Amino acid sequence: MKEAIFAGFGGQGVLTAGLVLAYTAMEQDRNTSWLPSYGASMRGGKANSTVKFGEDTEEVIGVPMMAEADVLVAMNRPSLDYMSFCKPGALVLVNQDALDEPYDFPEGLEIVLVPAAQLAYSVKNAKGASIVMIGALIKKTGFFTAEQAKQSMCNMFAEKGKSKLDALNLAAFDAGYNAV
Amino acid sequence: MKKTLMKGNHAAGEAAVRAGCMLFAGYPITPSTEIMEHLSARMPEEGRTFIQAENEIASIHMVGGAYCTGKRAMTATSAGGFSLMQEFTAYASDAELPFVIINVVRSGRGIGSLDPGQDGYRQSVYGGGNGDYRQIVYTPNTIQEMVDDIYESFETAEKYRMGVIILTESSMGQMMEPVVMPDYKFLETTPDWAVTGTHKWDRGAGGWPMKRKAWEEKMARVKAEMQRWDAVGLEDAEYVFVSYGLPSRSTGEAVKLLRAQGVKVGFIRPKIVSPFPVDAFKAVNRDVKGFLCIETTEFGQMVQDLALAVKGEFANNVPVHFNAYGIGVPSVKEVLAFYELIREGGSKEVF
Repeated sequence: MKEAIFAGFGGQGVLTAGLVLAYTAMEQDRNTSWLPSYGASMRGGKANSTVKFGEDTEEVIGVPMMAEADVLVAMNRPSLDYMSFCKPGALVLVNQDALDEPYDFPEGLEIVLVPAAQLAYSVKNAKGASIVMIGALIKKTGFFTAEQAKQSMCNMFAEKGKSKLDALNLAAFDAGYNAV
Repeated sequence: MKKTLMKGNHAAGEAAVRAGCMLFAGYPITPSTEIMEHLSARMPEEGRTFIQAENEIASIHMVGGAYCTGKRAMTATSAGGFSLMQEFTAYASDAELPFVIINVVRSGRGIGSLDPGQDGYRQSVYGGGNGDYRQIVYTPNTIQEMVDDIYESFETAEKYRMGVIILTESSMGQMMEPVVMPDYKFLETTPDWAVTGTHKWDRGAGGWPMKRKAWEEKMARVKAEMQRWDAVGLEDAEYVFVSYGLPSRSTGEAVKLLRAQGVKVGFIRPKIVSPFPVDAFKAVNRDVKGFLCIETTEFGQMVQDLALAVKGEFANNVPVHFNAYGIGVPSVKEVLAFYELIREGGSKEVF
């Protein structure tokens, strides 16, 4: 079973980014769970989603709560607190643009800084920083191929009636994928 | 069939539509509200009735009214909202009227909290109203199982003319998992107990002695026919975990880890807690050293039914260990720590 945590402020797309991963897992016939957590104030409040999925088509998902993550996507500084829920050697993808001063990262984790906001802005998708991180996550973990993830992302947005954003989201995904 | 990723509460609402629910009357309360949200769109779309009532008492009575005429009806609520419905559940039990309630439990007394928990167990199983009655209580631990349970629940309620509760937790309502939705089905005929307005209704249970006899017979049937559980490794188990709902997913993981290390532990997961799956205990190793109850309550609710089941099956007062996890969902680590404590001879509370 694999576990990924997406954390940030409400409005940074951390629930959506988790959904993209869960959707991709489902469309590859894996069992999966997506559990959101957010405060009373959605935009600007603390928000996160935890995604778990089976490593093959048989594996069932145990408890859906945050426990021992393989990956943490941290969109802001407070989200780095969730490193305490990471396995030894876990991948931590950090939104570099949210770190206004250097951070003293602990030993034993693979820290990757991604200028997510700048990359999103560079492909004219300022709101797509979380999608940039999904691209980076897929590249670094190899959980799924880029094609599988991109297809599922578009399918998910199609279900929400947001297919018109496909080109922008694919550009953001590629920006993240190519940056790491 | 196509799998879709659905939020637990939305899936619960859709399952009711598929099961032929013709009326939903409810009053919003976190964390159950998305069931109403989903049905506020879907019921009119299907030409069925959706009512946001003035409060919980009104909404559950509307459900009862619809079921009096033989139409499938349901409500969904949580915590204090469920408490308000107890006046009706007691009445409906006496009138042998079916109903379905989805109880998305949030922890705590009174206003409580929004955290998941299992302290709605006793109220759901024993009925919170006046008089002595029971309800059939499904306790799914995945969204797919919850969908399947809801799909079946109306028929169960009608078969026994009894209330059915789908007992879930706030996180089950809020999380998403892939689900396959079943086909549409309907209650095609008018049940013979329904009020039809033709003044030929004479199906009353009669006076107290007849009512009592009818309930005794019914409860015996329910107890025999609704035993449902999952089990792992009971034959050689030295200790057996018992857990339902989301904590059963932590427990399942813990049991898998322990058994992979060659530790002889077993696991019983009640899929229905009322009637309690007493038959599950017949397969347990006769030399079992103890049972571990993993539930999220403060003082223990399921543990009492568990202790009675163990007492009924084993002559030698096998200990049933309880650990008050309070609110939330215990982690795998916490379940393992409790097991370590018991194995080393310690205990928290023993029934």
